[in-house]
Amino acid sequence: MSGNSLPLALPLSRLATGESETTTLYRELRKPLLRYLVCLGLSMDEAQDVVQDAFLGLHRHVSGGGSQENIRGWLFRVAHNHARNRQVSYERRFGAPLDPEFDLLLDEATPERVVLEKEKFRRMEKAIRFLTESERECLLLRAGGLRYREIGEVLDIPTSTVGDTVDRAIKKLAEKCNV
Amino acid sequence: MAWLDHELPENEAADVERHVKGCEECRSRVHVYEEAGDLFEAYCAAVMELKAKRNRPLWTPVLAGAALIAVAVAVLLAFLPVATKRPTPIEQLPVHALSAAPAPSVVNVGATSTRSSQQRHASARPQNSGRTLKQNPARNAGENEGADWISGGQNIQIAIPADAVFPPGVVPEGVNFIADLSIAADGSAERLDLRP
Repeated sequence: MSGNSLPLALPLSRLATGESETTTLYRELRKPLLRYLVCLGLSMDEAQDVVQDAFLGLHRHVSGGGSQENIRGWLFRVAHNHARNRQVSYERRFGAPLDPEFDLLLDEATPERVVLEKEKFRRMEKAIRFLTESERECLLLRAGGLRYREIGEVLDIPTSTVGDTVDRAIKKLAEKCNV
Repeated sequence: MAWLDHELPENEAADVERHVKGCEECRSRVHVYEEAGDLFEAYCAAVMELKAKRNRPLWTPVLAGAALIAVAVAVLLAFLPVATKRPTPIEQLPVHALSAAPAPSVVNVGATSTRSSQQRHASARPQNSGRTLKQNPARNAGENEGADWISGGQNIQIAIPADAVFPPGVVPEGVNFIADLSIAADGSAERLDLRP
């Protein structure tokens, strides 16, 4: 899951000069970044702004001769910090119920499936409320394709702690969702 | 979880794999954790999709509305100068006002036409009804022939109902006035002379 998207260190030696590398990087990381930010509680507009800022920062970072190791972790860390600065109420925004408009996502499904999916998401939504902030962030970054080491760098915690946190969080979700 | 996420070193991962294969309970747990992780990811994807959908209808009508307003403003700006430059000429006054008017009174507008380019003349004549007054048709004919009543230096004759200017009964029936009105550059009345 977390190891199948991008290598740890992207070939950034060409990033400063080759536009195609930047474009490739943007294409590959834009969506995971957006998803992470949106799930953190930002609106889509805010998330897009943050992603743009992060890539601009990356450009400056690389142009200024900054470290080119683990650029994916670097981007997520920058985006994470930007998002934190923008968030007014993390709890309220992350916990905003999705239910009223879930039908929008399931408009092509059969009524039975719609009910089942809605029920699953509702349970997941409740289960997520039981997670700590750190657990949520670890899971979100894991869902974004980051390795434990990268997650540790983004959140500034040891890799072993990331492993324990992910383990604990998944067990909580499994328990609360009755999977 | 570390084993599921391929985060363990190879030798440890091999040990765990061997154990899971032989342990029904661990296999079941692994399945449950995988499912929970998948559901979490599906939930995140749904959150993103939902927010993206919420985003669209917010902007689409706003942009469409802004475009419509811009078009409307452009059309107004294109036609407004023409509309404001052309005052309604006397010839275009309502027909019923003209037909209801009595015999024309003599208004010698031409005599004052050289006094000021901004001078205006008005003829007022109270009626029994007090509702209709009429410009001088003789003068109208002359002006129609002159055609270019808009151009500077010419006088404009405006018919004003007596009731709109004087209280009822103040102006005796059958009395006409010639009003010389000078209009300042800012549009205000500069001078008004009433002559019987």
